[in-house]
Amino acid sequence: MEVSSVQNLCKHLIFCAIQRCRMSDELCRISIVLKLCPEFNPPLVRISVSDTGVGCNLKEFEALRYATNPISASKFDGVITITTTGISDNEIHTFSLNINETISSGRLTKLSSISKCGAKFSGTEAVLSTAESLNDLQSDISLFLHKMSMVKLPTVAVELLVDSLGVRGSQLQSCVLAVDCSPLPSSATNIERLKSGLEEYVLKHGNRLENFCQLCFSTAEHLKVGTGMAKRSGTSQSKRQMMEAVVVISETSEPAFPACCRPSGKRTEVFFFKDFTPCSIPQPSLDALTSIKWKDYGLTLKRITDQDDIALLEWENLPPNFHIDIALHSYHKEVMMVPSAGNRQADKTFTRKALKLALYELKETNDKALLSSHALKICNYAPDLAKTIAGLVLSSCDINFKKECFSVLGLQCQKLEASGLENCIKDKILSAIGSNDRKAQRTREPAAILFQNECFQLDFQDEDYEDGEEMFSSLKL
Amino acid sequence: MEGKRSCLSSSIPSDLLRRIRKLTLSILTNLSNGQSPVVQIDRFRNYCTETSGNCYCNCGISVGKELLTLQRECHTRRLDVLLRVLLVVQTLLQQNRHGSKRDIYYMHPTVFKEQSVVDRAINDICILLQCSRHNLNVVSVGNGMVMGWLKFSEAGRKFDCINNPNTAYPVPVHVEDVEIDIIGVARYILVVEKESVFQRLANDSFCTRNRCIVVTGRGYPDVPTRRFLRLLIEKLHLPAYCLVDCDPYGIDILTTYRFGSMQMAYDAKFLCVPEIRWLGVFPSEVEKYCLPQHCLLPLTREDKTRVEAMLLRCYLRREAPQWRFELDLLLARGLKCEIEALSVQSLSFLSEEYLPSKIRGGVYI
Repeated sequence: MEVSSVQNLCKHLIFCAIQRCRMSDELCRISIVLKLCPEFNPPLVRISVSDTGVGCNLKEFEALRYATNPISASKFDGVITITTTGISDNEIHTFSLNINETISSGRLTKLSSISKCGAKFSGTEAVLSTAESLNDLQSDISLFLHKMSMVKLPTVAVELLVDSLGVRGSQLQSCVLAVDCSPLPSSATNIERLKSGLEEYVLKHGNRLENFCQLCFSTAEHLKVGTGMAKRSGTSQSKRQMMEAVVVISETSEPAFPACCRPSGKRTEVFFFKDFTPCSIPQPSLDALTSIKWKDYGLTLKRITDQDDIALLEWENLPPNFHIDIALHSYHKEVMMVPSAGNRQADKTFTRKALKLALYELKETNDKALLSSHALKICNYAPDLAKTIAGLVLSSCDINFKKECFSVLGLQCQKLEASGLENCIKDKILSAIGSNDRKAQRTREPAAILFQNECFQLDFQDEDYEDGEEMFSSLKL
Repeated sequence: MEGKRSCLSSSIPSDLLRRIRKLTLSILTNLSNGQSPVVQIDRFRNYCTETSGNCYCNCGISVGKELLTLQRECHTRRLDVLLRVLLVVQTLLQQNRHGSKRDIYYMHPTVFKEQSVVDRAINDICILLQCSRHNLNVVSVGNGMVMGWLKFSEAGRKFDCINNPNTAYPVPVHVEDVEIDIIGVARYILVVEKESVFQRLANDSFCTRNRCIVVTGRGYPDVPTRRFLRLLIEKLHLPAYCLVDCDPYGIDILTTYRFGSMQMAYDAKFLCVPEIRWLGVFPSEVEKYCLPQHCLLPLTREDKTRVEAMLLRCYLRREAPQWRFELDLLLARGLKCEIEALSVQSLSFLSEEYLPSKIRGGVYI
């Protein structure tokens, strides 16, 4: 595995720390410490990533390479000091790993071992020094940790400590991600946590706020959420892989205040997580996103861009104050420090299935949400139809008939004006259209429901649903 | 009077209003149950291309149903149009006023876009409410003309055609209000396709020398013309002869008089005239009357396609094999001509020779 920058190396170290914590049965802590060392010229930043998970068996570093170019080479010399001990180890071992070294025998050097004097603990610390800017590192890792809080690994606390020398001497700032501050029970599943995490992320405008934004979201009911999960087995049960997808739609009633605007604007940032760590979205998942028939959900995808490890979906003609957020999480049930290479087509199908299940659930559980383009066209007729039908009722000379119509609609005749009757009928027409649309979706997606809890290896082909408006000729005149 | 169905009582407007209310209530009930409204419209046709002869065309029996729901955009649009027109009809019936199809079109021209859209909606409503168009108080501007040995009144207004038998009178629009005054004066009814031929006969004082009634629809006959013709035949019990151009359009107009049109298939029983006979001009008599060569024009590709389609119509096989034979001949020869070709050698040939001799000789099919 190749990393192209110190920031990416740090993220990989954090990834490894998380996997080690997952393997532990205990509550764990991950600490990331950034310490400015101004005595060097240029000033260096000492980065330490430590965890209290199971000890490191160094396998995850075997294939690690640092991409060397003049700029990156000047920032980091390739040397990482690793100190680790397993729960049943008697000693704490320290190694020096040079990831620039191509000859495998020369990469790892054992430095020292210290006795644990019978104490029972495990953990690892990886330390490196870099000439990267402290502020850049801090902001990058903070953003990374904010995203990571979406997956809410319940047994791991993560903290970031920044020690910068200022005018007043050493300043220590800390950013702590709590173990589990959500109202979810400890028995909550991963997908429930991901859903809760993404909801929070949206309500806190990208986790930039401490609490939900009261200006934009008076209640969390502004959010419509759908989740989907796909499973697949490898050659053995231990290689069972999960793909979870969460889609959140937020519609604010007031125009967003400038402070509430997202950096990505109206575009959808797709958050991708691999084994509980944020990472850049892989190509098969991008393929899956492109392959979705978005018009079945009333959306028109203009383009997908993947820049600086951020995947953005750009839409056409989104209603104002309407935003979509998507999170995808692929993980192995059993921790794999070095994941195996995937198959592009199979991975695409795997992602697509989870995503479609999420969109399906969102549509099924929310009236009028994600109506297909076809249904949206029919909705355009609703106001006129309602007005005409209301006219047929109100212009009738038969009082009993009017009373009966109001009664059928559940309205009180005397108190209602024409506009009230129209609105009532219009709402019912829109509900009927939404109901038809969901029924049509169920007809289109039987495979998705059929295979919801089964493992599959093969790529399944979605049926193409051709929305023929004039499929057979109407009355010939 | 035609247009009454067995289920309509003498108080037609109130029955129709009751049906409109029932339809509105059923739509609201469906919506209240979270379902799309469903409007079922019977489909009718006056012919098919079935060759076995075992079809039910033109018997007034529905050949299927269309279900209009909110599931398809085209159906939703039709529902939108239909309900708008229905609202107008309800108002007309309640206020006992009449409106024309064109009036209705101009109420929402941007929605309707074309007159034919309104016409279709009116037809759909007639089928839904099981009535004829005039029952809805929707009228069309009459296009037909009549002259000859006839007296009638329309809603109390008297028309004495006999006084000026060669003067054209408009065919009345409100045929349900027409009373035919004198019976037994005319000997036959002559239906001509074109206004030009009607005028030729008027100029030749045809009705002075021939005791008949001449009617023209000025092309494809509209509903009032067809209703009026049917009324004449029912009341006067006279033979009816049809004179059309020897071309596909003329013969199509002929079939419209006799068998009705597809557009009005739901009302065909009350609009068609099964008694009408084709007097001319037959393809088979072109040589007999020595029509000049320059009057015989070749059939265009569209003409041929039209004839081929007409030949497939079940009613020709079943009820008018001789007409079918003439159509075959038209296609085989590939030549057409107009009625005016008979006037090339002598202007008065049509009114003084052709028509009287054919009628006297019973040369019609």
